[in-house]
Amino acid sequence: MTRQISFRDLKDLSASLDGQVSRAKGSRLGARLRHETELAAELESLRRVRDLLRQTPRRHARRRFLLTPRMAGIKPPVPRLVPAFSWASALALLFFIFTLGGSMLSRFTFGAAAPMAAAEPQGIGGGPTREESMVTAPDVEAGDSALTATPETLTMMVPEPTYAPAPGERTTAPPDDNQLKTPTASLNPWMLIWAGLALALVVAALVTRWLGVRAFRRRAR
Amino acid sequence: MDEPALIHAAQRGDLDAFNSLVLSYQDSLFNTALRILGDEDLAADATQDAFLSAFRALNSYRGGSFKAWLLRTVTNACYDELRRRKRRPTTPLEPETGEGEEMESPRWLADPAASPEEQLDQAELEHALQHCLEALPTDFRAVVVLADIEGLDYSEVAQVAHVPLGTIKSRLARARLRLRDCLHGFGELLPAAFRHVEERGA
Repeated sequence: MTRQISFRDLKDLSASLDGQVSRAKGSRLGARLRHETELAAELESLRRVRDLLRQTPRRHARRRFLLTPRMAGIKPPVPRLVPAFSWASALALLFFIFTLGGSMLSRFTFGAAAPMAAAEPQGIGGGPTREESMVTAPDVEAGDSALTATPETLTMMVPEPTYAPAPGERTTAPPDDNQLKTPTASLNPWMLIWAGLALALVVAALVTRWLGVRAFRRRAR
Repeated sequence: MDEPALIHAAQRGDLDAFNSLVLSYQDSLFNTALRILGDEDLAADATQDAFLSAFRALNSYRGGSFKAWLLRTVTNACYDELRRRKRRPTTPLEPETGEGEEMESPRWLADPAASPEEQLDQAELEHALQHCLEALPTDFRAVVVLADIEGLDYSEVAQVAHVPLGTIKSRLARARLRLRDCLHGFGELLPAAFRHVEERGA
């Protein structure tokens, strides 16, 4: 007696080819296969299909699929020497130069006001304050004041002369602008040298880093 | 270095270790992609994409068969390609014979070590099989390629396809039955043993 073959039977037959049925199901199938020729023919046809698939020629890749650091998105580590010239150091140096340059520029631009600015900290640091200098200014001889007094103190001194010269008497000539300039207003050549050196260092750092990273990445590629 | 050690090193970002794994499995992944997609260039692209995805997602690998894990990535890459192809269908260029007719299968891909007759038989059989494979629904095709061509066991196929074992059995049985019916149409191209059985069974 033969039973109609269901998909479930075919699924079990297919699985039995690969040993993927339970022992109980396998023995039931075996018993049926001995009596049902159609079922046996189905099993055989499925086996042939599977064997044919297993004979399918294997193709080998014509190229290798190795990943490069670039493909994998790996950034090559920076060479050991280069971190000394890292971007952060270069930027810090750049800020330093800006600060230095700004300081120097302010000395150039506000050269006339600089002595006043320099005079105030003296008061804080224990030196004579503005009021003190006003008080003591009349005591200072005119020759000395040309070297040390600020323009403000000098102008404040003008309306309050200590004595009125007699008509025809020669008075001391007012100090000219050149005489008012203090030694601190002139440019220190060492600052220029330092600024030049710092700038050269920044440029060297940037160029070295760029060259180093480029060479390293080329090697790593 | 053994495979677990290579995987561990690759997970820490060692690209050389990962490339050693690539060399071990590239033929398997390429062959799977080729059988699913039926095109060498697309298969090569899918294989490359799969290895790249695998490297990026390597930390999500939690043990088990590494080959199955890699085959899952290539199967996904093939599914992506098939979806793309469905959106933008193209006609493949077939090589021409001396008479200017299109050849159905590129013969120069055959194994050069075989005799001309064997090469011809092999090429024809491969063409017939590939034709029938491509006629299968994608899910069935992937399962039959993994189980019968790549030789994975059912649990590995289930891991790759991310479906239960029962579904794998069912898909594989349906795929084999459909392939059997499809291969009937190629009669004389099939090996003698296959033809005799089919004639007896018919």
